[in-house]
Amino acid sequence: MTDWTRRQIGGLIGGALLAVAAPHIVRGQGRAKIVVIGGGIGGATVARYLGDMKSIDVTLVEPNSNHVTCFFSNLYLAGLRSLASLTFGLETLAEGYGITIIRDSAVAIDPVGRAVELRGGTKLSYDRLVVAPGVAFKFGEIEGYDEAAAKIMPHAWIAGPQSELLRRQLESMEDGGVFVIAAPPNPFRCPPAPYERASLVACYFKQFKPRSKILILDAKDKFSGQELFQDAWSRHYPGMIEWLPSQFTGAIKAVDVAARSVVTEGETFRAAVANIIPAQKAGLIGEKAGLIDASGWCPVDPVTFESTLQPGIHVVGDSIIGGDMPKSAFSANSQAKACAFAIAASLTGSPQFPPHLFNSCYTFLAPDDAFTNALTFAPEGGRIKTVKMFISKVGESAEVRRRTAHHAVGWYSAFTADVFGGGS
Amino acid sequence: MKRERVAAIVSRAKGLAAEIRWLLGLSLSAILLFPEGSAPADISQGAQIAATCASCHEPTGGGQAIPPIAALDEQAIVKAMLAFRASESPSLVMHAVALSLSDDELAATARYLADRANAGRQP
Ligand SMILES: Cc1cc2nc3c(=O)[nH]c(=O)nc-3n(C[C@H](O)[C@H](O)[C@H](O)COP(=O)(O)OP(=O)(O)OC[C@H]3O[C@@H](n4cnc5c(N)ncnc54)[C@H](O)[C@@H]3O)c2cc1C
Repeated sequence: MTDWTRRQIGGLIGGALLAVAAPHIVRGQGRAKIVVIGGGIGGATVARYLGDMKSIDVTLVEPNSNHVTCFFSNLYLAGLRSLASLTFGLETLAEGYGITIIRDSAVAIDPVGRAVELRGGTKLSYDRLVVAPGVAFKFGEIEGYDEAAAKIMPHAWIAGPQSELLRRQLESMEDGGVFVIAAPPNPFRCPPAPYERASLVACYFKQFKPRSKILILDAKDKFSGQELFQDAWSRHYPGMIEWLPSQFTGAIKAVDVAARSVVTEGETFRAAVANIIPAQKAGLIGEKAGLIDASGWCPVDPVTFESTLQPGIHVVGDSIIGGDMPKSAFSANSQAKACAFAIAASLTGSPQFPPHLFNSCYTFLAPDDAFTNALTFAPEGGRIKTVKMFISKVGESAEVRRRTAHHAVGWYSAFTADVFGGGS
Repeated sequence: MKRERVAAIVSRAKGLAAEIRWLLGLSLSAILLFPEGSAPADISQGAQIAATCASCHEPTGGGQAIPPIAALDEQAIVKAMLAFRASESPSLVMHAVALSLSDDELAATARYLADRANAGRQP
């Protein structure tokens, strides 16, 4: 990868310059100063769209040098995409949009003094702050499942090293083994993704380990796209995938990493490979900044995405209470644009238009069989409500499904260019 | 799709776009906040809705699976969108998008995209 050096240098330059300036407050002069915490899908989109408005000074804080997209990571697990093809640097945002990238983590927010403190000691002042830290896991709800256990039974719900670990385990698994997926309770990041994962790993097994089985132990009694998945499982992978709803098992209660077993209320399952996807909550910085309510997520105004708990701080992406909007990359991107334009409108006193919020997810059932949905949303009574919803249907022709899979690949390329800049 | 209706929508968009420019021009705080000759952001309604298009359409064309929209003219965009609005086929995604836009919003977006294309810039 030729852009490695550029990436590293970009990160070092941002980090080094600001580290020297620490710990005094770096103040913007003249131009409105926006700080964005989190360079994932929501944060990168906000930064890019505000950066596009040349007249705003944007600083993006992100600890990782590049972002590995969760979307399409199930294709990687099935051996159908490389991880490098899912990896994006932030250098285009720095070079093409004049955004200052700081490779660090936010550790504290002072909403009154309007400043963010970074792990390295730097303090950044802001006129407006946007927080987009994604999800954190509720470790401890499943007995025995903590960060250390995740190194043996990966969640692979933040793409990167966790995905690589799970892929290695699937590759070295013996034919005839059982791959257990523990699917989380609502609300969680990307509702159809555990079942897409089952479908694509089944595709891999069908070719390389045909006697293997997949067992989904669900914390729920129904799931997103259920009819479409179950139809596909019987067509493509008959007898290979078993889904056990919570009402049958009482859901997963504990794991024993040494014994490689997963325990439900009444039964213990031995797993050749276990993928434990824990219950989720808003990214941790939200807790420290008083952005989170009793639900564990961040309440926001559905027009501006300003926190209803902390004025001057906006939150987008998986961390928010999104009403009817699912926690998806598409939703995060859509919210981020609405948020960026709302911030620009309020800074300039320009008219504010009602946001057009949208979500469309492509889900793979097999490499040439994908389905899609398309949902539009509007703010209503302080909540985000679905206006229209369309979804692919069971019984569509193979040609329609092939075309949808082809569209998914086109979407991926356009979407990542939209988020991380570039595409020219 | 009747030509007159397209023309009517496009002409409404022109009126709307002019109104927005006027409002932006009047905004004193914009001038205060964006000193030193830096251009104020384009946050017109057309720009905001067109940003939605960029979630799926490549900015400079090149998209094969999802067709590029960067070089389309105003009438072609309005015409295509009205066809998408009328039917779930060939694209349920575009059907949902088209249904979510009022005639005025659609016209403002088409105008914005066409203006950008004319100016030779990315949408
Ligand atoms: C297997 C899988 C498949 C998926 N498929 C799809 C799909 O097909 N379509 C779709 O639309 N969505 C999909 N998603 C969901 C999508 O990936 C997420 O919804 C999306 O990434 C959310 O964006 P975000 O900005 O909220 O969080 P993220 O993209 O996770 O970004 C959060 C960022 O914040 C940073 N951060 C956290 N804390 C701090 C801090 N204190 N300081 C600085 N930075 C911080 C993190 O390092 C991270 O980079 C999928 C998810 C999974 C797991």
